[in-house]
Amino acid sequence: MPDFECRLKKYRQIKDLTQEQLAVQVGVRRETIMRLEKAQYNPSLKLAVDISRAVGAPIEEIFIFK
Amino acid sequence: MKNNKKLIIFFGVFCVLLTIASFLYTAVFNDKRFIAPMDMSDYVFRVKDLPVIISCVLLALYVLYIFLLIIKSAITNKNREEDTEFTRTVNPKYGYCGLFGLFGFMGFWTYNLDKTVFPFVFFMFFGFFGFFYEGKMSNTLIDERYKENRIKAQMAADKIAMSVIFIAVLFLGQGKLMGNLEYTLIAFVIVVALSIALKMFLGMYLLYHYDNDGSDGLFDESGE
Repeated sequence: MPDFECRLKKYRQIKDLTQEQLAVQVGVRRETIMRLEKAQYNPSLKLAVDISRAVGAPIEEIFIFK
Repeated sequence: MKNNKKLIIFFGVFCVLLTIASFLYTAVFNDKRFIAPMDMSDYVFRVKDLPVIISCVLLALYVLYIFLLIIKSAITNKNREEDTEFTRTVNPKYGYCGLFGLFGFMGFWTYNLDKTVFPFVFFMFFGFFGFFYEGKMSNTLIDERYKENRIKAQMAADKIAMSVIFIAVLFLGQGKLMGNLEYTLIAFVIVVALSIALKMFLGMYLLYHYDNDGSDGLFDESGE
């Protein structure tokens, strides 16, 4: 289990995006977004950057490593 | 496309019926040639042999054609997978092909009959049970998590299969199994065939398992 906290859900909801819409934007499956939000999946740097751009928030605020 | 399929099936049935008819013909009118064991070194052609020869050639060509169709379909599917970044479409019912693995048990019978060990190779077909899981993941977007899980599953499957072979080599390499070197060979063929089957099956099963691990949680989200 990756040891980090993920605040993607919060930023996604601020942007008024569904998991499906965000998944399409960043080119992954909805299940991947769901696991990211539960901090059950450690994304690649590229995916993290794509997500950061899609929700308009800095990476370090979305993924917080302890 | 549908007509083409019907034509292929019709031609297959025709070839099989023709072969059966020709064998019946040779059994009744041609001294059971090609049915009863015969020495081909002093074979002399007879016109009455033609039905069997023609039907067998047609059947062989048909089998070859079907084989080429399967290869072509596999390549097309593979190319489509690479182009579209989606997994290939596989019917989970192909998993039933795994039952062909049961033919492997015929090896015990053929070995006692005439020392033939080839049927043991059929144990590899047990690996086709993996199609049950590949079919469930048909048309899935290949994203980075899928790729990661695929590599993880393949590595785990390889590790388990290689461990089984490693232990078998250590054990069987000691010498004669039950005082018989042939039994050692048979045991080795069985172990390798089953290890290949295990690798094929686990590759798909573990990928499905990793990809859907905790899937209960997948549906408790509204996605909003």
